[in-house]
Amino acid sequence: MRIIHLLFIFSFISAQWSSESAFLLEKGRKEVGLFTPFRMGMENGSELSVNKFLMMPSVSIKQGMSMYNSWKMARIFRVEYPTPGLKWLQSPLGKEMGDPNMFSLISTQFSIPQMLSFYSEIIGTTGNINSGQLSLSAGIGVALNGKNLSDDATIDLPIIYPRLSIYYNDFIIKSGGQYYRKFTDSFYYLIDYDMYLMPGGRGRYAFEQQGLAVWQKSNTFRLSFGYKLIAGEYPFGAQAHFLPTINIQFGW
Amino acid sequence: MKTTYFLFALIITLFISGCDPLVTTFDDTEDAVLYQSNLIKEFPAKKSISVMTWNVRFGVARLDFALDACGDRVIISKSEVITGLEGIANKIKNDDIDIVLMQEVDVQSKRSSYVDQAQWLLNNTDLNYGAYASKWKSQIILADGIGRVDAGNLILSKWKLEDAKRHQLPLRGDQDGLTQLFYLRRNVLSAKVNMPGTPFYAVNGHLTAFATDDTKQKHISGFKSILDDIVANGFSFVAGGDLNAIPPNATKTDYCLEDQCEVGTYHSGKEPEHKEGAYFKEEITWLNDLYGSYEPAISLEQYGMNETKHYTHSPGGKLELDRKLDYLWTNTAWSNGVTHQDATKLSDHMPVTANWTVK
Repeated sequence: MRIIHLLFIFSFISAQWSSESAFLLEKGRKEVGLFTPFRMGMENGSELSVNKFLMMPSVSIKQGMSMYNSWKMARIFRVEYPTPGLKWLQSPLGKEMGDPNMFSLISTQFSIPQMLSFYSEIIGTTGNINSGQLSLSAGIGVALNGKNLSDDATIDLPIIYPRLSIYYNDFIIKSGGQYYRKFTDSFYYLIDYDMYLMPGGRGRYAFEQQGLAVWQKSNTFRLSFGYKLIAGEYPFGAQAHFLPTINIQFGW
Repeated sequence: MKTTYFLFALIITLFISGCDPLVTTFDDTEDAVLYQSNLIKEFPAKKSISVMTWNVRFGVARLDFALDACGDRVIISKSEVITGLEGIANKIKNDDIDIVLMQEVDVQSKRSSYVDQAQWLLNNTDLNYGAYASKWKSQIILADGIGRVDAGNLILSKWKLEDAKRHQLPLRGDQDGLTQLFYLRRNVLSAKVNMPGTPFYAVNGHLTAFATDDTKQKHISGFKSILDDIVANGFSFVAGGDLNAIPPNATKTDYCLEDQCEVGTYHSGKEPEHKEGAYFKEEITWLNDLYGSYEPAISLEQYGMNETKHYTHSPGGKLELDRKLDYLWTNTAWSNGVTHQDATKLSDHMPVTANWTVK
């Protein structure tokens, strides 16, 4: 049960924005990762992505666009309903305050309102994986009903804070980039960055840079590991973190 | 179950560790953090120095805090914290205090809206210099939504502080490893007050409240040994703090029923029989050594003649004071020792002041 809690925390983080390319999954292909959402290529040529942990449900659709010079272009629309997940984070073990309420990340003194967020993003990708594939992205997100959530109910931790900030700050601006290249037949490397701007928030920015080594045994299994460097501003001030990352993905 | 908790905590630790540790641990002795006011005021040396000890409950006055007052709030708003600090600052200014030994000061805690209370108090009193030692410092406390915390002991002074040291006290011996990792690291803070012509030491301690083994006895002994070392080196000291112990001649030693959050929790034949931190009967003699070696601001005779006048504490929102936990000590002499029970709405502990005659 605790493992499910852990997977949930990581998954709701990964279900949100992270750098990716403008390429879409082939029709009928499905992919899922330990810490990443379920993705599926649709009949109409678009790609559907669903967070597999339903306490933080989110659905996104990625659609191809016309080429822009040598750039393959795509757009992503995503909607997220955070309320059950945030309520769960108030009391992961179902305890009351004073029990003590172990692993609670948000005090139960705060009420979590019904909220929704909508994201829109454009991605462009150029090059190929053998000689190097570059992707750039930019987008915005807006939240509904976040004004009823206390500004003191934040989770002031790296990765989590910028991804939930939309509910405290009503909107967010994001840009990202990714460089992905084949190293050997089955090894790849990936370098990416994500920049979150949260104007008016108690923490106004977060910059995340990631380096990953990817081992792809076949089209059905992929293992990646590396690091993530995060420099961000939080309600208490600025802080940097350096974290190990790992993910296992399956496709069929 | 504990193994799962350990695993969970380890992964969370890896997750948010990196440039700074998740939980800050300390050497046996290390330098304290120094502060100074935005505006330095000049003060000449004095013959009589007013000293105060005060557990300020991180500036939240008597608000309904969950962890010590049976309340349902963990995060206190910035405006409420500033209001609490204004009451504390006014008390210090009105009584023209020269040295303040302060406990439960937050410098970067989510529970008090990240107000740096050490800097705020320096900027809003006549005091110029500060020395701070964390007793609880973690990027996240995984309970009750407490979040980030940095809280500890603070010495404030009109004169410059030097050689400020944080002395680690033993961790509680009655906790499992995971709880101990995220729990308080009690300490004694010492600093040399560089008053022109007569330097002396200020020593500030906040000892364990809730240990059910002999940890408190070790803390009292550790506090005293720091005082002994100062005297052995030829200096005088003013010392104090929240010792979480009652005087040896206290007539009441059991507060379990007064402190319980739900009627019937204690003294009901169920385990535990006594509430942590509310039952003093077995430790009633533990302050004898301090009383026998050094001069208290309120003597045992004064205390015994009128106990209620010298009570310094009542938990949470209860305004009727019911025990003495806070003390001032010196190796020379005090005059005019006072327990400021008029401050009962400013914190759950009352300030104790006295004048220290410089020799």
